[in-house]
Amino acid sequence: MSMQFPKIPKKVNIAGFVNTRVLRDDKKRQVFAKYEVQRQALRYAVRNTSLPARTRVQAQLELAESHSYTRSTTIKNRCVASGTARSIFRDFKLNRYQFRLQALAGELPGVRKASW
Amino acid sequence: MAQSRIWDLVKTQCRIFSLNYNPDRLRLGNKILRQRLRGPTLASWYPKQTVSFRQLQNSYKQFGLTTFDEAEDDREEAIQVAKMRGKGRPKKKRTAAESRSAKKKK
Repeated sequence: MSMQFPKIPKKVNIAGFVNTRVLRDDKKRQVFAKYEVQRQALRYAVRNTSLPARTRVQAQLELAESHSYTRSTTIKNRCVASGTARSIFRDFKLNRYQFRLQALAGELPGVRKASW
Repeated sequence: MAQSRIWDLVKTQCRIFSLNYNPDRLRLGNKILRQRLRGPTLASWYPKQTVSFRQLQNSYKQFGLTTFDEAEDDREEAIQVAKMRGKGRPKKKRTAAESRSAKKKK
């Protein structure tokens, strides 16, 4: 079982802001989703102490040798409107500045400026 | 109550609720199998483009309706202006001989 690296689609299919880093992050997400079941199976084999030691070590090796994009740790939440990777509101998928802009423009339902 | 009866009870409980019966508390890695798959939610972070303007235009074309694409109109106008000034694109060289003769002229 070898993890083949999928080819990059030529056509960009992202509706929001697109730059190289957004594309790369999206790629990581797609690859992670594709190999998640495989990864979980290997992780299970590693943790299962009832399996022979050889099998477990093999599973460990395979996990270690797999491409870094199959890991979820490389995925970073990025702003959908600007591509920024910092201070992202997870609920809105926006960074703080874009959130402010859109909230003040009334584009975010249920969000209003606090005043008391 | 005898200990064996209690184990029997636990066993039945595990069977009914489809849990893993593991009285020796071995590390069987079942917690990995219990985890939910996060791939679909992670993969759908960026909004995907479902319909393009071109597709919308084409769908209206079936009913004989015309749409106005301002960007496309601007582009075509700019090309016309460039052609009038003699700044249009050069003719495509189809054969190797043609491209060679074009180089020689310089």
